[in-house]
Amino acid sequence: MYAETELSAKSRKFLEDLRVYLFSSGKHSDEIDEIVEELEVHLMEAEQKGKSVEKIVGHSPKAYMEQLSDEMPADFKSWFKYIVIIIFGSFSFTLANDLMEGPLSYSLLELAGHVVIGGIFIVGTLTAFKYISGNQLSKWKEIGVLSVLTLVPIGFFVGLIYFNRAVETPVIHFGVAGTILTAMAIVVFIVGISWWAKTWVLPIILTLLVLPEYLLGLTALDQQTVLVLSTLISFGGIGIYLFIVNRAERAV
Amino acid sequence: MSTTQMMKGILDGCLLAIIKDREVYGYELAEQLELYGFDALSEGTIYPLLLRMQKEELVTSTRKKSTAGPKRKYYSLTAKGEQELEHFIGRWEYLQTNVNRVLKHETASDESQGRG
Repeated sequence: MYAETELSAKSRKFLEDLRVYLFSSGKHSDEIDEIVEELEVHLMEAEQKGKSVEKIVGHSPKAYMEQLSDEMPADFKSWFKYIVIIIFGSFSFTLANDLMEGPLSYSLLELAGHVVIGGIFIVGTLTAFKYISGNQLSKWKEIGVLSVLTLVPIGFFVGLIYFNRAVETPVIHFGVAGTILTAMAIVVFIVGISWWAKTWVLPIILTLLVLPEYLLGLTALDQQTVLVLSTLISFGGIGIYLFIVNRAERAV
Repeated sequence: MSTTQMMKGILDGCLLAIIKDREVYGYELAEQLELYGFDALSEGTIYPLLLRMQKEELVTSTRKKSTAGPKRKYYSLTAKGEQELEHFIGRWEYLQTNVNRVLKHETASDESQGRG
């Protein structure tokens, strides 16, 4: 048994940042655990002998993280899993929302736009986490980066809504039967994904995405305000949730 | 070749040589290097090297409990690692001999004919 408090705050911060950095570089989580634990052992012993963190990681923690990252293979399988979850997850949410308004119909532009924005959000998230963990940012700068990360997809989604009104693309009508089938598919998808990935990430994100708009829709606010507010709450919540998950992983 | 690149190849060999003596974990390895005089090095430098050597199957590792703290990761040489160490020693001796000759203004033929 060991107490984590044996490590100085600076070392703990380094290990946390390293974990986030490697995670957002798409490395295998068990390999991340291994190297972080190995460095934890090293830092503990070094600190007991009065050595500074710099003596271990050098003067640029970012350069050191990169060196480690370069020697670790990317975990494409897990990332494929995450990407499928995020893109289809964001779809299933839009679908769940629209189901309350009757039979579904989407233009090709809407369908393609969702996939593209989902992709941008994933790339943006990874880039932002890598940037935050690699550079010693102040809390405010960190919050700034995360705000940009959450605002960009919102901007794109709002843009997509207007763009979709301006541009005519073929519309796909699902019909009543198609809509019911789609609804069932969503439920199966959510349950299946959560079971397969052994994570609550999708239900939690779905709830964050669906509930604010639904609940705000029950209030007297006008539609535009509801849209903006709920999107802010949803993506802000997801950003915070992902960040907490990353931070919490080191405690496992 | 930059100094750091040259150092990396040399450090690889030194790590293999230290690990060959006995099973060691990271901190011990860094300490040994320091004892031998590599004291300007950041201690963490060894970990990217160890990661690569493990990927190349030159070393294997086992995790063992320690009295205090989390498990330590102990490294030992594989057969391939021992071979690589042999090669390194060969390369090093070749390099060392030639560099010394250059510095002492000797040529290879001087030595084979006896000095003269």
